[in-house]
Amino acid sequence: MPTELPTSNGHTAQDGENNFAVKAGLARMLKGGVIMDVVNAEQARIAEEAGASAVMALERVPADIRAQGGVARMSDPKMIKEIMETVTIPVMAKARIGHFVECQILEALGVDYIDESEVLTPADAIHHVDKHPYKIPFVCGCRNLGEALRRVSEGAAMIRTKGEAGTGDVIEAVRHMRQVNSDIQRAQAMSSTELYTYAKELGVDYNLLKETAKLGRLPVVNFAAGGVATPADAALMMQLGCDGVFVGSGIFKSGDAAKRAKAIVQAVTHYNDPKVLMEVSMDLGEAMVGINCGDLGEKEKLAKRGW
Amino acid sequence: MTVVIPDVTVGVLALQGAFSEHVQLLRSASESLALKGAPAQSQVKWSFIEVRTPEELARCDGLIIPGGESTAMSLVAARSGLLEPLRDFVKVLRKPTWGTCAGLILLAESANRTKKGGQDLIGGLDVRVNRNHFGRQVESFQANLQLSFLGDTVDKSANELYRCVFIRAPVVEKILPHKDGVQTEEESREATIVAPSKAPGDKLAEKETTAAVEIMATLPTQTPALQANQEHEHAGTEDIIAVRQGNVFGLSFHPELTADPRIHVWWLGEVSKAVERRHQFEVVDRSAP
Repeated sequence: MPTELPTSNGHTAQDGENNFAVKAGLARMLKGGVIMDVVNAEQARIAEEAGASAVMALERVPADIRAQGGVARMSDPKMIKEIMETVTIPVMAKARIGHFVECQILEALGVDYIDESEVLTPADAIHHVDKHPYKIPFVCGCRNLGEALRRVSEGAAMIRTKGEAGTGDVIEAVRHMRQVNSDIQRAQAMSSTELYTYAKELGVDYNLLKETAKLGRLPVVNFAAGGVATPADAALMMQLGCDGVFVGSGIFKSGDAAKRAKAIVQAVTHYNDPKVLMEVSMDLGEAMVGINCGDLGEKEKLAKRGW
Repeated sequence: MTVVIPDVTVGVLALQGAFSEHVQLLRSASESLALKGAPAQSQVKWSFIEVRTPEELARCDGLIIPGGESTAMSLVAARSGLLEPLRDFVKVLRKPTWGTCAGLILLAESANRTKKGGQDLIGGLDVRVNRNHFGRQVESFQANLQLSFLGDTVDKSANELYRCVFIRAPVVEKILPHKDGVQTEEESREATIVAPSKAPGDKLAEKETTAAVEIMATLPTQTPALQANQEHEHAGTEDIIAVRQGNVFGLSFHPELTADPRIHVWWLGEVSKAVERRHQFEVVDRSAP
């Protein structure tokens, strides 16, 4: 179940910095909602009508990136612009890990959020983008508390689990959320002396770790992503403590996209009401076929990208 | 004579958006009221609940509609069987309702720049709201403003500036004349949607509908924080960012993104007054032949 995120953002010190309150604030407005991957204006409209709280504009959904292979880059700004002109909800777009010029281009385009994403082919084998100087807020993926807090110190105003994008298999998203939760619980049980060592072990800023331990949750909004394909998957991630859900290939790779999208939206609002979940799970048509994460070779796992 | 104030339940619409933040500020506001409030107010036993169903809404004496995506909220409300109960709450029962950002849009009788095909509004405020008035996220900003509707808290007086956070914010573009039915002139405007009309439930509710729209705060367009972030020409000299009409109160910004509960303190005071008026009215009503 989502734990309360104090309105001070947990780290008031960053508030003044490039309007951190404004950047982290938009993420709070997306909470309890579903952010859907869309590849054109028509899909964006379906997502908007389904009640998506935002859309992620990209040329290929992760399932296709996986199937087609090759280098996956930032989408054509023209295609993103068309989506921005079609819907009134916020529009996000992906940049490659470490590719700060793609981020500059997306900022010039005026997207509402940038996802520095492992779904695209990384552009830097060591560094992530320094996200503080941008006026556009960033969301980044994580597999554990160390990755999450490193991204927050780099300026991410929102975090999501990496999961395993484009598989329709929720197991990795669950693994990552449980890992973050258990890392936080470990930190909470520590004395401040132990926390210094833990911060070193995780490779994170001590003060940010201390703040996180105090809050008992990540200091920014945290969504589930990577493998969510059904209303039940979405509610599962919410009950594990996520603030909202990204659905990538799960919607438009399924039989009846509009119906499934609506059902997932209802499931995220009423994630604690099994009766509603039962009703919205009925008669959704075919779910995306999916790939069993267990069958993926280590080289095929996108979640391993990012450092 | 001692006035017995019943327990008061305030709900926050929890379909999507920043509802948890409002609940946190309500709790902090009620603590401030208990410590500093007038004797009558300190007697109130507040409960704050998240509202996702008609049953939960029925328990509420007052309601906050938080920031979030207004299109998502109105679609989910309709599919959760909450849209008509919400309209009854605001327009038939005329209970105190406060909307911030997306909430202001939903509480307006008229709105423009909505998604294709429009969106469902609850209504209650005779105003036209312009969605995403300041532009996209890159043009979001914060400004410290003097507000007239603040309560004192333990550590802050009502006179201090309030940090107003505007995120893809709407503003009130026009105050409309009150109509007993639907805002027909607005309805005939291009790309503008209106809320359906509902008759007030009783005499006390009727009284609320006769109230004029009060402009509670404006934002001068010369505000440096606004100017610094604007990428396009901003018309006019000021924007209306806070309005009240009878039982309905709307803000374009997000008090739920600050740790400052002074607006919540003030509004809870208004809610307890409304609950008391309702109580007095029902006592008189029952004793009438």
